[in-house]
Amino acid sequence: MSLVFDEYGRPFIIIKEQDKKQRLKGLEAHKAHIQAAKAVARVLQSSLGPKGMDKMLQSPDGDVTITNDGATILEQMDVENQIGKLLVELSRSQDHEIGDGTTGVVVLAGALLEHAEGLLDRGIHPLWVAEGYELACKAATEGLDKIATKFEFNLDELEPLIQTCMTTLSSKIVGRCKRDMAEMCVKAVLAVADLERKDVNLDLIKVDGKVGGRLEDARLVKGIVLDKDMSHPQMPKELKDVRMAIVTCPFEPPKPKTKHKVDIDTVEKFETLRKNEQQYFAEMVKQCKDCGATLVICQWGFDDEANHLLLANELPAVRWVGGVEIELLAMATGARIVPRFSELTPEKLGKAGSVKEISFGTTKDRMLVIEGCPNSKAVTLFVRGGNKMILEETKRSLHDALCVARNLVRDNTIVYGGGSAEIAASLAVEAAAEKVAGIEQYAMRAFSDALDSVPLALAENSGLAPIESLTEAKARQLKEGNPHLGIDCNDVGTIDMKEQNVFESLSSKKQQLFLATQVCKMILKIDDVIQPAEYA
Amino acid sequence: MAMMQPQIILLRDGTDSSQGKPQLISNINACMAVVDTIRTTLGPRGMDKLIHTNRGVTISNDGATIMKLLDIVHPAAKTLADISLSQDAEVGDGTTTVVILAGEFLKECKPFVEEGVHPQVIIRAFRQAGQLAVAQVKTLAVSIAGKDEEETKDLLRKCASTAMNSKLISGEKEFFAEMVVDAVSKLDRDTLNLKMIGTKKVQGGGLRDSFLVDGVAFKKTFSYAGFEMQPKSYKDPKILLLNIELELKAEKENAEIRLEDPGQYQSIVDAEWNIIYQKLDQCAASGAKIVLSRLAIGDLGTQYFADRDIFCAGRVTEEDLGRVAAATGAQVQTTVNNLNPNTLGTCAQFEEQQVGAERYNLFKGCPRARTATMVLRGGSEQFIDEAERSLHDAIMIVRRAMKNASVVPGGGAIDMQLSRYLRDHARTIAGKSQLFINAFAKALEVIPRQLCDNAGLDATDILNRLRQQHASKDPQAHNYGVDVNTGGVKDNFAAFVWEPSVVKINAITAATEAACLVLSVDETVRNPRSEQPDGQDAAAAMAGRGGRGRGMRGRGMRGRGRR
Repeated sequence: MSLVFDEYGRPFIIIKEQDKKQRLKGLEAHKAHIQAAKAVARVLQSSLGPKGMDKMLQSPDGDVTITNDGATILEQMDVENQIGKLLVELSRSQDHEIGDGTTGVVVLAGALLEHAEGLLDRGIHPLWVAEGYELACKAATEGLDKIATKFEFNLDELEPLIQTCMTTLSSKIVGRCKRDMAEMCVKAVLAVADLERKDVNLDLIKVDGKVGGRLEDARLVKGIVLDKDMSHPQMPKELKDVRMAIVTCPFEPPKPKTKHKVDIDTVEKFETLRKNEQQYFAEMVKQCKDCGATLVICQWGFDDEANHLLLANELPAVRWVGGVEIELLAMATGARIVPRFSELTPEKLGKAGSVKEISFGTTKDRMLVIEGCPNSKAVTLFVRGGNKMILEETKRSLHDALCVARNLVRDNTIVYGGGSAEIAASLAVEAAAEKVAGIEQYAMRAFSDALDSVPLALAENSGLAPIESLTEAKARQLKEGNPHLGIDCNDVGTIDMKEQNVFESLSSKKQQLFLATQVCKMILKIDDVIQPAEYA
Repeated sequence: MAMMQPQIILLRDGTDSSQGKPQLISNINACMAVVDTIRTTLGPRGMDKLIHTNRGVTISNDGATIMKLLDIVHPAAKTLADISLSQDAEVGDGTTTVVILAGEFLKECKPFVEEGVHPQVIIRAFRQAGQLAVAQVKTLAVSIAGKDEEETKDLLRKCASTAMNSKLISGEKEFFAEMVVDAVSKLDRDTLNLKMIGTKKVQGGGLRDSFLVDGVAFKKTFSYAGFEMQPKSYKDPKILLLNIELELKAEKENAEIRLEDPGQYQSIVDAEWNIIYQKLDQCAASGAKIVLSRLAIGDLGTQYFADRDIFCAGRVTEEDLGRVAAATGAQVQTTVNNLNPNTLGTCAQFEEQQVGAERYNLFKGCPRARTATMVLRGGSEQFIDEAERSLHDAIMIVRRAMKNASVVPGGGAIDMQLSRYLRDHARTIAGKSQLFINAFAKALEVIPRQLCDNAGLDATDILNRLRQQHASKDPQAHNYGVDVNTGGVKDNFAAFVWEPSVVKINAITAATEAACLVLSVDETVRNPRSEQPDGQDAAAAMAGRGGRGRGMRGRGMRGRGRR
């Protein structure tokens, strides 16, 4: 920041470290912000839609991520610019709230700002633009409400839900086996869904994976997969009708928490101590046996002595199982978590149909699959993939699909995808704009133009002629009054998205509009930036 | 040689002492430079500032927040930051107004100072003008007290929405005004303790997804295995609040047990378990269905409670626990011995609810609901932060208006009216102060002028129309102010653009005081010490890099000289 001089030519400092700070003001600030936002949006633009491309991102410590999930890309890009960061957060909050549409929301926000720039050039006050956008957003969401349809599904008729998940998965790397994946996701969501309360707790769905095998090997386990093996290699690999004891104390002699010391001055005392210890082990195993447990899951480790005793007593056991898994297991099997052996009772045991240890390929990796739990609220999606990057990307894609299915269970109102909703919203805004007098009208038109950028990007990414495809869909929507016309990304031959069965939940679309408008307003409202010079 | 006079050294070397008129002018200029930075944030078309400091990024429109973050070091300009902060603490809104007013007062008297008027004369006249203005605000204020409940609420909502006009959340101001008024009216009428309104921020969702909990809400605390097995919803539960750890642990930190006989080993272990089980049993025996503790509740406790269908949460922050106590009527216990049923609280409904990516514990329908919690949603962190600041302003305004129920028309109307009144008054005075009171009156016009400037309107034109309107015989003339939406003038009282009179009174008083303070200073003695540690460190660091060290020191010296 430059110095200020008074009439007598004496400079004065007002702000601490003034010469190290940089200030950007007025229109210049707006322009810089819009540039930054556009740059971020442009990165994501090519990832939009079923034919969108992936990005490869290398983290500072060399890990490579390949993804086309908007939120993940932005997260990993480590954006330094403050305005860029706002967009990152925008995408993140879409991810948290809806879980899908993270790319679309950023592309939309970028387009909105780009069109705002044109208006600012004409000398329109940024807040008028922001206000116009808010009006337009209202009109657009009302338009969406009008074209939204209820979407019927029930437990016997899963097809529609599967179709929706397939739409989400089609843009991902797993598009190849989207049918299987979508079915898996829908079944998983319905297994944990509470259809009465219309609520789905996604925490109950665990997505786990192991490198190796093919994508097609992925499967849904109605139970839990533990990345652990039996504590002793000679323990049985498969158990049926398991009664499971879940304990949170180690197979070791108990230790008081208070500092203690045992004085041993005679051989006899030492002998007693040793005998006591052995007794403890025998006791612990006996207590487990007595209550009828056929498997012990332990949060902590075992002594080798205990391990040997367990094997000798034919009591299979698993050690070092993490707290989260313990909890999931307890919920699924109906077990109670027991803090010490003396409290084990038959009622506190959990039940499971089968426990299997499976190994993969030639590696020594083993996993435990626990199935047939009476209270199978918890399920696991177990995916396989050729390498770690594919595996991670598959997990992310499944997460998106799960979120979509969840959203539909929560609220089954939908709009059709493939850009058709955006086109319809754009038409609605345009119509609304004509009724508004004043500068807002201009801003609303800009909003409607910005909405077109989503179908444009879709068409472009699919290798279609963007303008032709957009204008055709738009003209036909207006002429035929059919709001389901969009961009035929997959070259199926029809642009009616209803026939193509491509749709998204209404709440997700509305959320995108709200969030993008909100961020736009925030960015447009800033006219002054004070920052340390090194960031400039 | 013998004639050489010994130099008298009065102050330490490096002390800066500037004095006289130049110093006064320099101070005024510094203040005006500060005012220039926050001018554009005034009013409904005010813009935001993005301030990037070491501590993070803030996007704000709130005068006090900006002044605080600017980190002003100029001694005179600091006064402005101080009055802005005190306005924030006192009335909560009008923090930009007060700074702009003070700056304008100084600007108006600068020519007089340059012409050689003694500052004290100006100060006296300004003080007098300030008092007259405050008295006039009081006579013009319209009381909104004494109306029935519904009407009062409606009026309060209008005040709140005026306060939010200039903020980022203005698009949803009706929604939030309702929320703020509801929240404040939940409070105890007599004390209106602001701490009892909690604000929780959850990223994600739209602004409209924000909601008000008639009771307490807080984020799910860290939990141990077993937590998921606890029930998550109760009707009319008994609530026990604790301030003890429920964990298996050493009872005394530095105690040591010596065992002679290894056989006694088990008894020590059992003793420890018994202690914790006894505590847990007592909690369960009290009949409480919800157990909250400020300290940790370990995995053992969690599982014990899960077994008995009791909900528990450890490490609840003190603030939240306090509000739960206030809402449910429970008393925080420091021991579980002799739990008295009277110390348990209750509420109509407790549930755990998913909000965005977070899970929240909600206590609703509390019998002694002297507390409320606002859960704010928004697209980004900065957005919610700014929303919180804006709501704080609105809450303060509503609270003020409830206590001191009189309002004046906003949008520059009251300022124009005061200006006209002071001009009229000035004509009746003989002597120099006529000029100064006139200057004061002129300075007041800065508020409507800035409102116009920020909205991109022609300030001169609108000000002239306002002056004319205010001079007219119309009985409602004093209510006319700027209408930023259409770019004209209108009756702002009828349009419900209101602010509590206390905001205006405080702003005028504080701005006058600050202006007088700056005017009364004619010498700054700045001890070099206060800056030394910083400067020396920098110099030492720089010295390592060779020649630049000296340059830095030189600059440091000049830096001192500048002030």
